Amino acid sequence: MSPMAATLSIDLEIACGSFDAAIAWESSETALGLFGPSGSGKSSVLEALAGLRRGVRGRIEVGGRTWLDSARGIELAPEARGVGYVPQELALFPHRDVMAHLHFGARRARHARPAEPGLAPERVLELLELGPLVHRPVTELSGGERQRVALGRALCSGPGLLLLDEPLASLDLALRRRILPYLLRVREEFGIPTVHVSHEPSEVTLLCSEVCVLAHGRVVACGPPATVFGAHPLAAGEGGAGLVNVVSGTVESVAESLATIEIEPGLRIAVADEGSFAPGQQVACELRASDILLARGPVSGLSAQNVLPATVRAVHPPQAGDRHAAAVVSATLGQGERAIAVVVSQRACRELALVPGAAVHLIFKAQACRLLATYPAAAIRRRDP
Amino acid sequence: MVARILGCHKRTFPPPPVGYDPRMSDGAFVALALSARVALCATLAILPPGVALGWLLARRDVPGKALLETLTALPLVLPPTAVGYLLLRLLARDGPAGERALGFDLDLLFTWKGAVLASAVMALPLVVRAARLAFEAVDPRLEAMARTLGYSPLRAFAAVTLPLAGRGLVAAAVLGFTRALGEFGATVIVAGNIPGRTRTLALAIWSDLQAGRDDEAMTLVGITVVLAFAALWTVEILQRQGRRAGRPR
Repeated sequence: MSPMAATLSIDLEIACGSFDAAIAWESSETALGLFGPSGSGKSSVLEALAGLRRGVRGRIEVGGRTWLDSARGIELAPEARGVGYVPQELALFPHRDVMAHLHFGARRARHARPAEPGLAPERVLELLELGPLVHRPVTELSGGERQRVALGRALCSGPGLLLLDEPLASLDLALRRRILPYLLRVREEFGIPTVHVSHEPSEVTLLCSEVCVLAHGRVVACGPPATVFGAHPLAAGEGGAGLVNVVSGTVESVAESLATIEIEPGLRIAVADEGSFAPGQQVACELRASDILLARGPVSGLSAQNVLPATVRAVHPPQAGDRHAAAVVSATLGQGERAIAVVVSQRACRELALVPGAAVHLIFKAQACRLLATYPAAAIRRRDP
Repeated sequence: MVARILGCHKRTFPPPPVGYDPRMSDGAFVALALSARVALCATLAILPPGVALGWLLARRDVPGKALLETLTALPLVLPPTAVGYLLLRLLARDGPAGERALGFDLDLLFTWKGAVLASAVMALPLVVRAARLAFEAVDPRLEAMARTLGYSPLRAFAAVTLPLAGRGLVAAAVLGFTRALGEFGATVIVAGNIPGRTRTLALAIWSDLQAGRDDEAMTLVGITVVLAFAALWTVEILQRQGRRAGRPR
């Protein structure tokens, strides 16, 4: 295995019922996202990676190892691939309790890689805060708890590749905020290569360093989430309606139901607080691209709490077939590299003469910014060397 | 009323098989012990193939699956006497599995082993059906999950599917046992009705009725009702628990 080997290199043909998916993707990043609307073939790709799907043709290479090469007649059995698979339905064993699930996964780690550190069930128990549930039958757990058990079982097995299928899709907003930090913690602590299937742009942006966008079984775009979602507004939903910016920073203060968050040295935003923020926390917030106003001239007398100077970096005209015909403007905040996507109508784009290099102000209400997740303490330690 | 039923029975029962002697009667205990031995041996004999067939029908798409399904269900719908007659022809001296064809005598006809064979054949369809239902109630994705966690197909089966189907499989065994216990038609033709040797509970009841020993017949009927009730009750409870535990969420 060469150190330069790609994390993942696939070239697959999968029969998905109504259509045939043909997907080619190669990446050397470790936090990978597979994004697309439901029925685009994301879960099929994950099943093919786990080795659980029949009738898959093509090639799969993971970390330099060939898992599938139908031309050469190679197909590794699921048990020979060493994946940690968390399917959408979780597939927990109804006859085993929480601890038994972790030990069920740990069997492989014990036998195959005795020296692999940090994957002991006790460690995973602590990391995912499953301690109080150890001897509970999984049939009595709540959705978020079941999600953590499935994730824990996969982690205990010492996987070379983690496959997460919509880990947050079945959870409500409050539970998402609880589970997201665990996913972040897993990414920060273990650095296990992960393929994360999702149809939530904010989730992908927060968790992945590269995303592959699928539509009808074809790869539409690949690259860093911020770039991809900015350049392909259609990828994030019609008219860019689903386009979401993820802004992370440190909570500086909380006063009068408003939290002040420093997202870059000297650059602060105000976010409405419903009691979730505490000073010193590192948080990620989502900000819909359609909730932001652009102003060219001087701005005064507004109730909006956020008026930030920015520079237009690029203007993406609406793509063919987009009924809403909105343009997506990506603007650079302050001095930094941070790009924010804004959806504006084509007329506004013309009237304001929005061209790359134009100086603008981004305006949004404190209420438009919603808390996505609080980074765990461990992640903060790693992020501030 | 009883006399009318008896008279009706006298007219419709098949002619007395070889070894039948209406004047002789076993003690209830002898018949019970023989029945228990026959039914237990028959259950043990059909459990491995029955469970394997049930698994095959539940989990695999084999060519000729519909034919296999029909064949295994056939003894369920055929008159037991027809099955018994086919077995008799099969095992007769010049039959396909007789002394002449094999070169040696299997020594099954008119022995308790013959009764085991007859009741095993009659009970197999029930065991296959119940085993198939037990396996179908287990989500195949659970076994697939075990495979991704490094378990070989056999280990995954043993660690996930078998324990989850376990209660259903016990129920299948109990069902097979009760069917073997009550088997009459095929047994009387293959094994005869020899007191002390092949006269099982079902045969003894019939013999007592034929001989007009109503009290003895009633005692035997009482024993079979208790046995059958206990067995079915067990199955009911096991399947209830199985439904609760086996349901994947």
